[in-house]
Amino acid sequence: MIAPVVSLSEVWVTYRGGLGRPGIDAVKGASLEISASETLGLVGESGCGKSTLGKVCLGLVRPSLGEMLFCGERFGHLRKRRGQLAVVLQFPEWALNPRIRCGRSVEEPLVVLGAHPAERRRRVQAMLESVGLDGGFAERFPGQLSGGQRQRVAIARALITEPRFIVFDEAVSALDVSVQAQVLNLILDLQTQHGFGALFISHDLAATRYLSRRIAVMREGEIVEIGSRDQFYDRPEHPYSRSLLDADS
Amino acid sequence: MSTREKVSDAWAMLWRRDRLSAIGLVLLAMLVLLGLFGPYLPLDDATKIAVGPRLTPPSWRFPFGTDELGRSFLPRVILGIRATFLLSASAVLITSCFGAVLGMTAGYLRGTADQLIARCADVLFAFPALLIGLLIAAVLGPGNFSAIVVIAVATLPLFVRVIRSVTLGLAGRGFIVAAEVAGASSMRIMRVHILPNVAGALVVQLTYALSVGMIIESVLSFLGLGVQPPGASLGSLLRQGSAYLTFAPWLALSSGLVLSSAIMSVNLVGDAIRDILEPLYGRPLT
Amino acid sequence: MSALVEVRDLTIAYDSIDRSVLALDGAELTIEAGESLAIVGESGSGKSTLGMAIGRLLPPEARRLNGDLIYEGRSVFAAGDEEVRSLRRDKLGFIFQSPMTALDPTMRVGRQVALAAGGRPEIADIAALLERAELSDPERIMRSFPHQLSGGMAQRVVIAMAIARGQRLVIADEPTASLDASIRDRVMATLSRLRRENSASLAIFSHDLRMVGRHADRIAVMYAGRVVETGPSAHVLRFPAHPYTRALMAGAVDGARRGVRLEPIPGAPPVVTARAENCAFAPRCSARQSLCFERRPETRRVHDRIVACHFAERVLAQHHVGINEPSA
Repeated sequence: MIAPVVSLSEVWVTYRGGLGRPGIDAVKGASLEISASETLGLVGESGCGKSTLGKVCLGLVRPSLGEMLFCGERFGHLRKRRGQLAVVLQFPEWALNPRIRCGRSVEEPLVVLGAHPAERRRRVQAMLESVGLDGGFAERFPGQLSGGQRQRVAIARALITEPRFIVFDEAVSALDVSVQAQVLNLILDLQTQHGFGALFISHDLAATRYLSRRIAVMREGEIVEIGSRDQFYDRPEHPYSRSLLDADS
Repeated sequence: MSTREKVSDAWAMLWRRDRLSAIGLVLLAMLVLLGLFGPYLPLDDATKIAVGPRLTPPSWRFPFGTDELGRSFLPRVILGIRATFLLSASAVLITSCFGAVLGMTAGYLRGTADQLIARCADVLFAFPALLIGLLIAAVLGPGNFSAIVVIAVATLPLFVRVIRSVTLGLAGRGFIVAAEVAGASSMRIMRVHILPNVAGALVVQLTYALSVGMIIESVLSFLGLGVQPPGASLGSLLRQGSAYLTFAPWLALSSGLVLSSAIMSVNLVGDAIRDILEPLYGRPLT
Repeated sequence: MSALVEVRDLTIAYDSIDRSVLALDGAELTIEAGESLAIVGESGSGKSTLGMAIGRLLPPEARRLNGDLIYEGRSVFAAGDEEVRSLRRDKLGFIFQSPMTALDPTMRVGRQVALAAGGRPEIADIAALLERAELSDPERIMRSFPHQLSGGMAQRVVIAMAIARGQRLVIADEPTASLDASIRDRVMATLSRLRRENSASLAIFSHDLRMVGRHADRIAVMYAGRVVETGPSAHVLRFPAHPYTRALMAGAVDGARRGVRLEPIPGAPPVVTARAENCAFAPRCSARQSLCFERRPETRRVHDRIVACHFAERVLAQHHVGINEPSA
């Protein structure tokens, strides 16, 4: 049995307060598993802790309590996990370093891994094409690209090292309606092609349901429900999930 | 569009939108050119005494008159421009490098390094530059080196604080987090991702620090602690001229006027650069 | 009813150093008194520019090349400074996306609402206004500073300020975009109710088709600086007459059927640098013909719509796209 790509058991994340202020529990006892080629959706209101949970899955935040396993092993140091993880964040205007060309942004993870320049160039071209941008985009600066194009470049960068796990944190929320559809389809296709596990964090249920096989609902730091996409929409168990659904439809 | 056309269009836009900055730019350019090439102009030697009668008022022969040793004052003022700019600019350039490194380290790495660097900068910032200047001059003795050190110490906290604050703002952005997740080292992130993006703020602070540096240098030289004779900076010339204010006011007036223009033009250009790089509202000038 | 606002062939360009971009390319629109109109469009459609133009709030690098904007029979662009100021203060109410940018962070809320209402209102009057905006405990809110309020509460304050002087037209630019999904509907409902009570018109600029369909009487769709379709919102969303409207809804993720792949509109919207002498949507249109590349489609009436498409009748006759139907 292949271990899931990411597994969290009873993870707590507590931020210590200082100077008499009480600490904050950003995440309370969260458990989840994500397998290869699978997307787990994570929805909830802003402030419910979904971004923090995403950071735990990426190894950016250490759990105060509980265990986080990556491909069945303890996570260790981020530097050891070079090339195995990636992230795509919300705002296209900050997704790429505005001072360097797109090609250099995309090859950055390969540079960190120590790949040769010729190899890097080849893979950047291939990756840009597979996200639907022609090779010429490598020479452009982010300021010359539209929001949707920048997110595509960010996705190309995320995939260039063939990572096992990608976190999408509100990755399509800031995009226009028609561009959202393009980028969502792109993520679906790339996942079929490359087989990465993914965590799709969003406040938008429609987009989440389109991508995810299973969906987790978070509220005030706790995961109140995890279910399959269908189960979730036919019979949501927790009253909170229901209120979120109603608001959205 | 060719570069030449772009430059002339940019100038036309600047002139239309922000005349004051355009004037400041012209003024600064003139002063810098004077400072750079002035000594090579066909004027009298700045250090040669008794070229003319002492303390004569401005005339065609001596456009800024003569000082108490019979030296033509105009070439001395030009020497002064050169010294003032060179001293302040070199001090500020060196300081900006240190300040940028310290600021980025504090802003990105946070934790103990941040506490240490930020607190020290705050303490330094709290001291009036003049007090620091007197202390350092007392220790190192008066002279060019002393002036440079004072300017460096007085302007360092400026850079540290600004670069730290810009770095703090950058730290959560998508491309930085992506680089961290990709496993890039902190050094690499600071060098490749943060430094190019604080460059704008750095340039703006550079011009501001330059004007502060020029003022500090002038004050020190005015007090006799900076540039020593026979060298001259605008501050020391002002000192020299203020002794003869009642019967040879042109000495103090000319050096004072040139000093004020220099500082004002640096400030105007600094403001214009800041408006281009960091507009307060709406779209930037370009 | 004569129209409250008339946008006539409005063309506005933004100048930068090396080129000019047309944000509006001959936009035509009317807003009737007492109606709620939704203006829908994506980035580059010109909808923000149109919204700002109504109050002549365009930045200095915007240049009007052609056309005009008429408010209550008078040209907004030809008006003097005093008239424009009075327009913005007394006749127009603005609600922006982020309530925190509309409110002064250094002034207590009560005082800001009083300033917006004009004259010397009593505390009771202000409290009553805030209660109409469904804010409970108005006295406490009046004493608070903006940062002490939640996003939803702050936006309700902004809504109250927008109708405080009996303004006849409220312009709302993505009013719920920065609020939590769970409260958007309620805040929108408050806005709808308040403006109806005041018989004010509402022009709401948004990209959220579903919300807009629920709260607006009429909808106008913008593309590449033109208004390409206008009509009763329920009809337009179910039976679009313009290929862009149709494609927009077919490609919207909130209309996706379970297990059915989305069909996004291929390509990207054009950057308009000169008046389009053909149809700007043609390169991406699935129903395009050669005529679309040769002649600019004029806005004309088709059934209960105003459309800018050569083949609107044909599009109308096709199957409708329903976004409010439950997933099968």
